[in-house]
Amino acid sequence: MHGNTGKIADISLAEGTVTMLNLPEDTYRSFIGGSGLGAKLFWDRADFSADPLSPEALFILMNGPLTGIRLSGASRMSATARSPLTGGLAESSCGGYFAPALRLAGYDGLVITGRADKPSVICIDKDIITIEDAASLWGRGIEESTMALHGTYGKKSTSLVIGPAGENLVPFACILNEAHHAFGRCGMGAVMGSKNLKAIVVKEAKGELSLADPDRVKAMIKELTPRIREHLISQVLHDFGTSGNLEGHMYSGDVPVKNWTSNFNEEMGDALTGSTLSERFLKKVGTCAYCAVACKRIVQVDEGPYAIPEGPGPEYETVVSFGSLLGTPDLAAVCKAGRVCNDLGMDTISAGATIAWAMEAYERGDLTDERTGGMALRWGDMDLVANSILPMMASRSGKLGELLSKGSAGAARAIGGNTINYTAQSKGLEAPMHDPRGGHGHALAYAVSPRGACHVQTAMHFMETGACNYPEIGFEFDLEALTGDGKPETMVLAAAIGCIENSACLCQFADRSFTMQEIAELINAAAGYKYTLSEMMDAGMRGYDLKRCINFLLGFTAADDTLSPRLLEPARDGDTAGIEIHFDDMKKKFYHLMELDPVKGVPSRRRLEAEGLSDEAERIWPGTS
Amino acid sequence: MSTYYKDADDLYKIYGYFLDRVLQDEKIGTKMSKAGIIIKFIYTDPDAEITIDLKNPPSKKGYYGTFYLGPCDLKEDVWSKQPADHSHRFWHGLENPIAGVTKGIIKQGGKVTAMLKLLPVIKPAFKMYPIALKEMGLDHLIVSK
Repeated sequence: MHGNTGKIADISLAEGTVTMLNLPEDTYRSFIGGSGLGAKLFWDRADFSADPLSPEALFILMNGPLTGIRLSGASRMSATARSPLTGGLAESSCGGYFAPALRLAGYDGLVITGRADKPSVICIDKDIITIEDAASLWGRGIEESTMALHGTYGKKSTSLVIGPAGENLVPFACILNEAHHAFGRCGMGAVMGSKNLKAIVVKEAKGELSLADPDRVKAMIKELTPRIREHLISQVLHDFGTSGNLEGHMYSGDVPVKNWTSNFNEEMGDALTGSTLSERFLKKVGTCAYCAVACKRIVQVDEGPYAIPEGPGPEYETVVSFGSLLGTPDLAAVCKAGRVCNDLGMDTISAGATIAWAMEAYERGDLTDERTGGMALRWGDMDLVANSILPMMASRSGKLGELLSKGSAGAARAIGGNTINYTAQSKGLEAPMHDPRGGHGHALAYAVSPRGACHVQTAMHFMETGACNYPEIGFEFDLEALTGDGKPETMVLAAAIGCIENSACLCQFADRSFTMQEIAELINAAAGYKYTLSEMMDAGMRGYDLKRCINFLLGFTAADDTLSPRLLEPARDGDTAGIEIHFDDMKKKFYHLMELDPVKGVPSRRRLEAEGLSDEAERIWPGTS
Repeated sequence: MSTYYKDADDLYKIYGYFLDRVLQDEKIGTKMSKAGIIIKFIYTDPDAEITIDLKNPPSKKGYYGTFYLGPCDLKEDVWSKQPADHSHRFWHGLENPIAGVTKGIIKQGGKVTAMLKLLPVIKPAFKMYPIALKEMGLDHLIVSK
């Protein structure tokens, strides 16, 4: 096997045992790697009735076929589980340093089951995987824990760590690598916490890759790297970080304000945008392994109530979640809230969105002082957010902490009334900070993404904004953001492309200048899959369809492919004001194009069988032909 | 052959009239001047060049920047090259500049991020361009969706 190592460590925390899974090469080729292969492992091994936080629950980490090849954007990996937040399929992607370290240590991935009888760390030191005591780290924040792990396992080690929120099973708890790079979404931190697993450490990233065509890989890296560096998106990301064009997005109606009640505020756009962050707080740029883009921000707030020492700074999603969404233009406060939230180990999108929902609920009188324990939730009260609400959510303490630790949909269900209508989510996953009213394709993408409202599980975000162009697969930009025209057809391609990117574990920023043919060639040169372009597209679609089948067995149907009402209301201000999203029409056409059953929400038996998913088809459509 | 411009002089006449208004507009001009850069627009079909200086003090009172029609000696911080007809549609708000770059219709160099940040600032000018054409008696050049 090339590119991949063919070794997946199967770790039982209950038994304290490690065995090796050796999947057939054809399985890798059929699902690419990363999220596609994670979904396949989940399908084959999961107990679909198991609670996401039970010992039986699976936690899968998977590299892609390109991991470790020293190409910008190829240092990501994918996590798969059942989400404690949504109950559906959870997947999350993380950059940083862990993925190449795991690959160089000799592994394509880890499948973790069971629950350790005490707080533990999995330590990977080449061929030796041990489960070690982590009692001294339990209860500590992610930054402190990460430093302590470096002290124990050496400066060259790298780790995935959960914070107190994960330990306390907050359903949107995250996992961080080097206290900066996040498996943010779907509550992967709680899954680790439920297993008494504080951290996973690779002691040293040392080893050799076996590539199918090393010379071709080298030549492609040489050819692609300058193109990545010079790409417009890369330049913006490098100069100003992922929030680099926030004020531009504000004008196009992309940036939500005050719990999605508005999507236009010039003052906030100027105050929160990436150039302002650079001017006021940037100390230096940071990066994932081998990356020429370097979109990460290292910031310091020198003085004032939100002073923080030099360390990881907020990216776009965090800036908006704790900025305009909460009604504040105070960027120092955003930096502080982001740092606190990361250290506690919570997804900044879900945390910010849940607080924003609570602020609106309080303003409306749906959330009373009795429910908040006497706390007045006012728009923009960042002192309360950073110093009280976030710690309470992570520890699930007090009435308010317990309520908001459920996430926005869970909290809305708890207090009832019409409060669910002004959550901003799909399938229970809070929407990322790109307003579908500024790009109607996002509405469809959020609704039909298997993990819930998500802009990176498919490629719609970049396709709709004009940042990619794929004539080789029939996609040449001709979309207008504020209509549904062409969006279902685009979504078909976007579903496959997104699954390819997340399975090859490519960064969706760094690969924007790649053609799909080049991605296939890269995979072939590294892993020897011998894909034609169409076979790779089929593999992406196969992964997407399999994830839909998993969700069906976890209780989701076509009715769940929707958005909360708030996200479908016409915008109230800005250039997008009053424009209606024709969501039902887009969904209906997408379902038709994808042969999705209008009730079950899964592909037809014919389609599954044509994709080589005959066993899956039989399980979804038993007794039919 | 250009759909909208007879030749470079025709293009300069139209953009001169338009930029004269944009660079005196208080809301747009104030924000543009904060960019502090010199931008060179290079057009093809017809071949032409326009430089907008948002770095040095404006040469005329009441203006927030200075523009030069045709080649000039100022060293640009950023340049952008595109077909003149694409630019014409852009100023009507009908072209997505990100897609233009992605598809290779627009080429750029230098401090492109600084220029990108001007995009939201100049958005109100999209309404001014057709008005300028109308004022010049060039209604037939106004493009609709």
